[in-house]
Amino acid sequence: MASRQSNARRTQEWLTAYSFLLPNILGLMTFVFIPIVYAFYVSLHDWNALSPKVFVGFQNYVTLMSDADWWHSVSRTLLFSVVYVPLLFCLALLSALLVSALRGRSVGAVRTMFLLPFAITSVISAIIAMFLLDPRNGLANQVLAAVGIGTQQFLGSPTQAIYCVIFTLLWINLGYNMTIFVSAIKEIPSDYFEAAHIDGATGFQRYRHITFPLLRETNTFILIVTTIASFQIFDQIMVMTKGGPMDSTEVSVLYIFKQAFQMLNMGYSSALAFVLFIIIFVLSMIQLKFFSSND
Amino acid sequence: MKLRMKTAGVAAVSAALVLQLGCGSATTTNTASSSAAPKASEAAKDTSKETTAAKKDKVKLAFWDMHSDAESKFFKDLVDAYNKSQENVQIEYSTYDQGSYTTTKLPTGFASGEGPDIYMISPGDFMKFAKSGLMKDLTPDFPAGVKDDFLPASLDAVTYNGKIMALPFELELLGLYYNKEMLDKAGVQVPKTWDELHDAAKKLTADKVAGLIIPPDKGPYLNFIWYPLLWQQGGNVLTADGTKSTFNTPETAKALDFWGSFFKEGLSPKKLQLGPWEIENLGNKTAAMQIVGTWAINATEDKFKDVPIGLAPLPTPPGGKPATDAGGWKMAVNGQSKHADEAAKFVMWAFGSNDLSHALKWATEVKFAYSPRKSVVEKGKDIYTKGLRKVFTEEIYNSAIPEPRYPSEVVDAVGDAMQYVMYGKMSGADAAKAADAKINDLLSKQK
Repeated sequence: MASRQSNARRTQEWLTAYSFLLPNILGLMTFVFIPIVYAFYVSLHDWNALSPKVFVGFQNYVTLMSDADWWHSVSRTLLFSVVYVPLLFCLALLSALLVSALRGRSVGAVRTMFLLPFAITSVISAIIAMFLLDPRNGLANQVLAAVGIGTQQFLGSPTQAIYCVIFTLLWINLGYNMTIFVSAIKEIPSDYFEAAHIDGATGFQRYRHITFPLLRETNTFILIVTTIASFQIFDQIMVMTKGGPMDSTEVSVLYIFKQAFQMLNMGYSSALAFVLFIIIFVLSMIQLKFFSSND
Repeated sequence: MKLRMKTAGVAAVSAALVLQLGCGSATTTNTASSSAAPKASEAAKDTSKETTAAKKDKVKLAFWDMHSDAESKFFKDLVDAYNKSQENVQIEYSTYDQGSYTTTKLPTGFASGEGPDIYMISPGDFMKFAKSGLMKDLTPDFPAGVKDDFLPASLDAVTYNGKIMALPFELELLGLYYNKEMLDKAGVQVPKTWDELHDAAKKLTADKVAGLIIPPDKGPYLNFIWYPLLWQQGGNVLTADGTKSTFNTPETAKALDFWGSFFKEGLSPKKLQLGPWEIENLGNKTAAMQIVGTWAINATEDKFKDVPIGLAPLPTPPGGKPATDAGGWKMAVNGQSKHADEAAKFVMWAFGSNDLSHALKWATEVKFAYSPRKSVVEKGKDIYTKGLRKVFTEEIYNSAIPEPRYPSEVVDAVGDAMQYVMYGKMSGADAAKAADAKINDLLSKQK
């Protein structure tokens, strides 16, 4: 009698759970999983979207292995990631610690300030950054001139452009990541800090022995999500440099977009997208293993 | 057992995260490509109301345009007039952002089988569409005698395998616009040769003023402005039949080096706030000279009428002959449309009939451009000799060469060569050699 009731209850729980998940699952199926399977199907063909598809098996994958432009774009993406992710992580954590230490009415204003570039849409922020970095009329060069540094080309320089893009993205995304850290820091019971303070621990010791260990899951989350996102930056680069100058900001996603929509090589670009997916997936797994192995 | 399930669960969550983020950035991409554009496309949906009144047996055609503002209104009025005059055909007009029109709008429309019956094509994308059977052969649709009225070069530019695949309706020529006052103040004559252009730009470049505005970013427009430098010396990118590269020549090297010198010496900005096709660069007095086209003339007469802007033909190299680029869009009919013939009738009615009024209105009122039809230029003689237009008509028109219709890969390879020289990575000769090899490789891979 009792086991039948608990069975019924478990079934009901199971049904409730899945009916809540169903809309999201359907959405994911329709807009994510099925298109991905279709993209793999397309990657096995030669297709320019205007004529019928021609089956070529794994020819596209063989071609991309020797595509120097593709691998250059991958190395640029990795460079981007290696510079951007640690910088964002450290800056977000640092600003979160500082904001958490603030008291009074200024906290809300400071948080809003940080979130503003993210809230006004990344594309508009990118355009604002473009105006700031304009070599002739931008504020950045005027500030540099005031301290005696000569005019910089910024987005017009093949060597500086990618760092300008990184800088702009840091400015845009700092607020969002900082907010996640602030919420996580708030979760830490204040008793720990009080106890440490009574024991005479310095601020840095409190951070190292209390805050940092308890933020481990948040750290892992931010690192993985930021890495994945850094491989997919598209809108801002498209608006700011379109991949130039001299292809110096042409990251993998831009190369795929160019192959798909300028050259109309749909099959080839689908294969490239798949390879990028595998690269990101492997990197994420490595990061996950590395950071959660101490569980 | 538990650990393996845990790892599997973690792997599944990671995969889901990756995919969800992929989905997330995909949606922002769509908003970016539509928000990063100028005006356009608000008029898109309100025309559908008109066709709901159409009878069931009427042929319905879809006309997808990429124009905006006054130009879009012109085409919409054209469609309305045609619809009124027709018993059995109704055309639905809509317009889209020019930036994503040929890259995403048209290909996705055709790929899903819901492409338009009538659309616009530019030289840069001509080959892609011509090869795919999405352009109807319009040769039999010309009314008697009209074909001869067209400039032969303008029809050659739209001919593929001996068939005329699109109808040209405008020719946009390039010239050298300049600020008369700035030149006078610096004691500079209007440049007629390459050396004079270079010296003028040097003298005119100041702290807040650029000597010469030319496009710095890669793309079809970059090549479009540069080709005349090559043509003036008799050089070209490909052979006449388009099968082999003729890029590795001293002429190419010279043209690349000359172009690159403006950027290397700081006479042309490497990054522009305004598009390089905007005459506002001269209008807001941040530049002394600009290579731009016929489309800019109307703005010099109303928006910037207080700025003393002059116009001259493009300067030529020693021993070179005058040459300028003639761009412009063309109307095409979907070759796979069920009603291709009716669609072709509309296209011919618009710009290919003996009634010159539409062509004249487009070229002289809505914007300023040349018509590829001699009778239209003759009929509009008065307008074509007004103000700066006179310079185009009398000094530039005869040297016009239509913009070539190379495959996108070739356009990209030429653009790379230009940028390598602009940023000092290679000399003109080395860049020409490298691009030549790449272009031949690309051409050999094409069907």
